Amino acid sequence: MKVLVTVKEVAEVEDDFEIDGTGVDDRYLEYDLNEWDDYAVEEAVQLQEAGDDIEVVSVTIGPERAEETIRMALAKGVDRAIRVWDDALDQDLLDTATKARVFRAVVEEEEPDLILTGVQAGDDAFGATGVALAESVGQEWAAVVNQLDIDHLLAENVARVHRELEGGVEELTDVELPAVLTIQTGINEPRYASLRGIRQAQSKEIAPKTLADLGLEAGDVESSLFLTEMYEPESESDATLFEGSAEETAAELASVLREKGVGAE
Amino acid sequence: MDYALSEEQRAVVEEVRRFAENEIAPLAAEYDREEKYPYEVMEKATEMGLPGAHFPVEYGGAGYSTLEMALITEELFAVDPGIGLCITSAGFGAEALLEFGTDEQKERFLPPITDGESVMGAAISEPQAGSDVTSIDTTAEKDGDEWVLNGNKMWITNGSVGDYFVVMCETDPEVDDRYAGFSQIVVEADRDGFSAEKITGKLGIRASDTAELLFDDVRVPEGNLVGQRGMGFLQLMQFFDETRTSVAAQAVGIAKGANERALSYAEEREQFGRSISDFQAIQHKLADMHTRTEAARQLTYKSAWSVDHAEDDLTALASMAKEFASRVATDCADEAVQIHGGAGYVDDFDVGRLYRDSKITQIYEGTTEVQKNIVARELLGKGT
Ligand SMILES: Cc1cc2nc3c(=O)[nH]c(=O)nc-3n(C[C@H](O)[C@H](O)[C@H](O)COP(=O)(O)OP(=O)(O)OC[C@H]3O[C@@H](n4cnc5c(N)ncnc54)[C@H](O)[C@@H]3O)c2cc1C
Repeated sequence: MKVLVTVKEVAEVEDDFEIDGTGVDDRYLEYDLNEWDDYAVEEAVQLQEAGDDIEVVSVTIGPERAEETIRMALAKGVDRAIRVWDDALDQDLLDTATKARVFRAVVEEEEPDLILTGVQAGDDAFGATGVALAESVGQEWAAVVNQLDIDHLLAENVARVHRELEGGVEELTDVELPAVLTIQTGINEPRYASLRGIRQAQSKEIAPKTLADLGLEAGDVESSLFLTEMYEPESESDATLFEGSAEETAAELASVLREKGVGAE
Repeated sequence: MDYALSEEQRAVVEEVRRFAENEIAPLAAEYDREEKYPYEVMEKATEMGLPGAHFPVEYGGAGYSTLEMALITEELFAVDPGIGLCITSAGFGAEALLEFGTDEQKERFLPPITDGESVMGAAISEPQAGSDVTSIDTTAEKDGDEWVLNGNKMWITNGSVGDYFVVMCETDPEVDDRYAGFSQIVVEADRDGFSAEKITGKLGIRASDTAELLFDDVRVPEGNLVGQRGMGFLQLMQFFDETRTSVAAQAVGIAKGANERALSYAEEREQFGRSISDFQAIQHKLADMHTRTEAARQLTYKSAWSVDHAEDDLTALASMAKEFASRVATDCADEAVQIHGGAGYVDDFDVGRLYRDSKITQIYEGTTEVQKNIVARELLGKGT
């Protein structure tokens, strides 16, 4: 069995920052593995550890700088990685359809049985890449998965998943493979890369691929979405202070939370 | 000369720091206050492969060098020296086994450390034998195919939680040479006649276990002798460069931790209508602390690199690094408390703990005075 995990290096903004054109000034950015992808990687590695002969491949769209981040996924147990990059991809904003087109080309080459993506990326937060990819490759999909029955998947080739819906409702769904699952944080507890894993990751493959390598051309990745402006909105905060005993304040807090729609009745 | 860390080394630093901040920082104050050994953290550290990370891969380690161990130590100690020491000391004494042990001894004593099943220690100091190591009184006598040990050891890290110890004892008292006649013997904690008494009330590194060990006719098989009979002290001396460098790295970590906390507090705290970091007196403290820490770090890296690569004798360099870095650590922790004012004097903030923890780096693995004696001896060419 082969599992493909899409991963992304995202920029994290410091508390204090300055805007530069349509982006945040590079001085205030730190790059790290997208949080949701960390959970997707962990789920794939757990699957690999539970089964026999399961290969986990991760794929990213990103410049060479992203290799350091991708190598952390290799250190956590991913077998090999593919990094797609091309001058034509070096745009302000890659829209979801473009990313899905690039990933589809990789899927056609790799033919994975299962594709895991994060629910969303922490930086541009479209929350759509996984689903768009499923649509693009014509596979079944389940979004916002917060539980996956690994034994069932290995035995039946069916992903039995819990999906997180609004208001704390959970949906149980069976999805036949091949399929795409978008993974929600909290589905597992992502491990730390072990020291040995970090050492071994240095000799694992990160295959660089250009658009041409994937049979695509610049025209295929022309984004139809453009960033026009970036600004920091005026922020307003609304704080309520409860005073009294723990019992009283807890009850007050609960009623406020219920008013705001947290938790299902 | 290559003056940058490799991508792999940067990854190690980043991941160890992340581990320390998530898994150690939230528990540090509690374990310090209650003087308890952090079993739960040890379990997680084991999953990450931290204990015995310098052991060869065949014994469960990652085969990391002295420099990488210094990087790991620095990050752990920057977050919390007490729990940091528990992790980095899990394989204390293993150097002797790695270098002089038989395959059978390595197979028996090393994998349990990296598996997290066991913790070990190095038992050298005694109540009356600290800086003067050659005055130790613990004896081991040969009786048939067993060694019989008698005596007591003082200040032994992991003493009451450890499963076995590499014990320095006198086996051949009749030998004239001051440094000969000692041997290193492994003693398991479950042998009859062995007991350990935890030492409480330490100033700092209170999560780390320290104990007095008592040997009352403790019998171990002759196969527990590590290396050569009578050569124990000379065997031990071969690792001073390595162990002193690792204490230097602990000190650099403490200084770094103190500096980071001092900097962020100085930026936050306001007096006289402005941030205290606007005052030049505070700025100069911060500048000094960071400069001296960087100097200590470079000396430590040089010493670590030399242990791994250089061929000549580096005794003076390791002693310089240990002495200087430990002085920088105590000074930086002191200034960090000062910058916190009253808030630094209570345990709501970490700097008070770092201040207490820092002092040990000037005491164990050879005191500051002993390190200076060594540096001077090397300079003046007064033999080895
Ligand atoms: C928390 C802790 C953990 C420890 N862990 C271990 C361990 O795991 N294993 C182990 O074997 N030991 C361990 N030790 C012991 C440690 O190595 C000794 O405490 C240290 O070597 C100093 O010995 P001492 O305490 O007997 O001091 P002393 O040797 O009595 O020194 C007292 C003072 O005299 C000075 N002095 C002594 N000789 C000279 C000299 N020739 N010239 C100038 N000044 C001198 C010293 O520098 C010091 O200031 C630990 C100690 C502590 C506190």
